[in-house]
Amino acid sequence: MSKRLKASERKAAILAVAKVLFSDKGYHGVSVDEISRRLGVSPAILYRHFSSKEALYEEVLNQIACKRESYVEAVVQSDGSFSEVLRMITRRYVESVSRDPDYLRMELQSALEGSDATRQFFENRWRPFTDYIEVTIRELQPLGAVQQTDGRIAALMFQGMLREALYAKCIFRTPRYQELELNELTDYLVTLFFRAIGYKEDTG
Amino acid sequence: MSTFDLELDARGLNCPLPILRAKKSIQTLSSGQVLRIIATDPGSVKDFEAFCKQTGNELLDTLQDGGEYSFNIRKG
Repeated sequence: MSKRLKASERKAAILAVAKVLFSDKGYHGVSVDEISRRLGVSPAILYRHFSSKEALYEEVLNQIACKRESYVEAVVQSDGSFSEVLRMITRRYVESVSRDPDYLRMELQSALEGSDATRQFFENRWRPFTDYIEVTIRELQPLGAVQQTDGRIAALMFQGMLREALYAKCIFRTPRYQELELNELTDYLVTLFFRAIGYKEDTG
Repeated sequence: MSTFDLELDARGLNCPLPILRAKKSIQTLSSGQVLRIIATDPGSVKDFEAFCKQTGNELLDTLQDGGEYSFNIRKG
């Protein structure tokens, strides 16, 4: 029997239970009934706080994922250069995801499920990286600040290496990279990325 | 509708690009001058609120017209 909770406490309890279930079974593997059962409340109480399962899923992600304000702060604090902005937003993202790897589990579950709605959520969360890299490379190329590179593919390379580093450290806990700190590893990967696209800081 | 001194077209761009462009544009203005930004990313509403809070510039107004957003920011 669940005791009476304040609305904010109830909402937090729903989010906590939903996060565990979604990361364990994916979006389609969890029903509103199951979440309600785990909480010991009726589905009607759950719908009082979230209009749909999709809204609840998105809110779970919003709670874990890096907030946009955090990217704004990174840009405000940066010198505005490609290398510093990308490095700073990467650090913000890595900090938020490593704090709660359930986010990565949900992303993996989403990939396996092939659900358009959840795939879109994650794609949007990669856009600060993919769009920024693609647009900036296109703009820097005529200035000779980067070598001839397809910005879209460079963005894919960046996304791939960052995602793999997070999986290796936070999900698989791969022994090969055990002695490397996650921040150190991602910083090094960002440096390799700039080297790969032939970025020249001074002309940027 | 308020007047502005410089206009920035950030249509089609997503976070962090509109903020980055706004930061660079506002550096060219003097205190009290107004930058107008036009954007299409719905997330830019929250982004420019956060931007103004963090930089001490004043968000004079936010307008939405269809899929376009315009922000008038007075340099602090």
